[in-house]
Amino acid sequence: MKRQVSWLAWLFYLIGALYFIVPLFGTAVFSLQKKRGEIGLSAYQAAFADPKFLETFLFSNVMAVFTILTSLLLIVPTAYWVHLRMPRWRSAVEFVTLMPFVIPAIVLVFGFIKMYSKPVTLFGVTIFPSLTTSNLSTNILLICAYTVLALPYMYRAVDNGLRAMDVRSLTEAAQSLGAGWGVILWRIIMPNLRSALLSGALLTFAIVVGELTIASFLARPAFGPYLALLGNHRAYEPAALAIVTFALTWVAMGLIDLVTRGSQGGAMAGAR
Amino acid sequence: MAFLSLRNVRKVFPNAQNAAVEDFSLDVKQGEFVSFLGPSGCGKTTTLRMVAGFEAPTAGSIVMDSKDISAERPNQRNIGMVFQSYALFPNMTVADNIGFGLKVKGAPKQEVKQRVDEMLALIKLEQLGGRYPYQLSGGQQQRVALARAIAIRPKLLLLDEPLSALDAKIRVALRNEIRAIQRQLGITTVYVTHDQEEALSLSDRVVVMNLGVIEQVGAPFEIYNFPTTAFVASFVGTLNIFECRVDDPALGTLHLAGVKLFVSPALLAQRHSGKTVKVALRPELIYIAASGADDENQLTGVVENVAFLGAVARIHLKVGDMTVLVDEFNNPHLAVPAVGSALTCYFAREVCIVLA
Repeated sequence: MKRQVSWLAWLFYLIGALYFIVPLFGTAVFSLQKKRGEIGLSAYQAAFADPKFLETFLFSNVMAVFTILTSLLLIVPTAYWVHLRMPRWRSAVEFVTLMPFVIPAIVLVFGFIKMYSKPVTLFGVTIFPSLTTSNLSTNILLICAYTVLALPYMYRAVDNGLRAMDVRSLTEAAQSLGAGWGVILWRIIMPNLRSALLSGALLTFAIVVGELTIASFLARPAFGPYLALLGNHRAYEPAALAIVTFALTWVAMGLIDLVTRGSQGGAMAGAR
Repeated sequence: MAFLSLRNVRKVFPNAQNAAVEDFSLDVKQGEFVSFLGPSGCGKTTTLRMVAGFEAPTAGSIVMDSKDISAERPNQRNIGMVFQSYALFPNMTVADNIGFGLKVKGAPKQEVKQRVDEMLALIKLEQLGGRYPYQLSGGQQQRVALARAIAIRPKLLLLDEPLSALDAKIRVALRNEIRAIQRQLGITTVYVTHDQEEALSLSDRVVVMNLGVIEQVGAPFEIYNFPTTAFVASFVGTLNIFECRVDDPALGTLHLAGVKLFVSPALLAQRHSGKTVKVALRPELIYIAASGADDENQLTGVVENVAFLGAVARIHLKVGDMTVLVDEFNNPHLAVPAVGSALTCYFAREVCIVLA
């Protein structure tokens, strides 16, 4: 009986693995067949040779870095405060952070454009200019939208990190030693959230680099729209870039695993 | 003059029906070691947290070193605190943990290093300064937490059940260390515990608390031997409590299950004949004698059970419908009575306590 269960488990494992691997393998093989009857990297060479690739890829990377910083600034103090002073509000805050899962990106971007493309005035005085009139302000808007998209992942990562440590005792111990809020956050909470923050940051990075809808509607030169555009005109290069992006994601996942493994002892020590 | 003074302190948590701490007044002298002792939920930790500044009193005042600190933030009070969960910073080494408070205060590097070395020597962990908390045992972690708390030269040291998470043997060793360090530094200390042995062995004075109020304050000897309330009597140590009827207050006579008992007449000064009083008696103050002892008080019953507790053998003697506990100190020649045998025990009138 036990043997049968084990055999079945392996079968389902194999089916699952094939479900993911076969399309990937097909894309990889396809990306290597740009020249008829030859296996080679010419699709990759062509993709990398396009200056648009580097431009859009760099743009998305910069956006990702700013999104990560904005998310950290917004989420770490919020999650920390909820853990420390408002534990009853935890489920409400969690609910809010899950909203991007149920609100499609297209709705979000239309909301953003509708709200921020006009100046906000109060009694005839402009208190907030339009955010879609310059590249810089549109980039800011894009970062804000990405921050919303990354909210569920980043919040969850930070929340899990905070749950793994005795936030109240660590805070009170630091306070009794004379530390203020800034010192507590910077020198006690953040270092102990290292692996959680890295997980959240890498997930955010992966989301931002591949995002299509918001960047397209805000007309920003991001990597996602570039990939989609390339797919309309070329066959092999998008496949090659899909494999490259996939590889980058795997490198990111590997990094998460490496860092999380390395800090397990420390994380356990942070627990009660 | 008191170094730490709590005056009519009250704490009511939001949405709570009862006060967690009610009308708490206490003076602690400089260099004194005071323990708050009581069961879970009695308000001892809440009181400690109010002194530390982590909870704000609903009413009353807290004065330390002639300054009202009731409204000060925890990081302005210069009070060292040791937590039950150690609360060592996992991202820092032992040395960094100990030096953290001094670094926060902006002490020069050399001074921090010197103080950290002093503290490591004090807790006898000189070799472990470079280790991380997770590389230490529970006892070592708590010693580091103590060193960290006193490294900042606090005016007051607070310890919130610091030994609860440790093994029995380490607990005893560490509590002796804590007391020795406290005496060496002369630091005023408030210690919270629910372990009576810990409170009695460590403290200059013990504050017994129940349901948010102080039941009794006194030296350990006083608390153990002269409890003033039924709660203190039953919470501290093991006690026989008999419900007796006052016979003649002037002679100090009472009736217990048809037997006449004698207590010091002074204890019945305020009582009237026929009234019911509670008489408390420590099991170790009752003794068994082969034949007629001198003491007037004697109870005869049947041995219900004998429990060997190491230092003592505890005899459960059934007298009428009540059980009397009698402790016989252990010795290799102790004749343990057989279960079911008849036994007479004796006690002096002076050892009886009449509870309020």
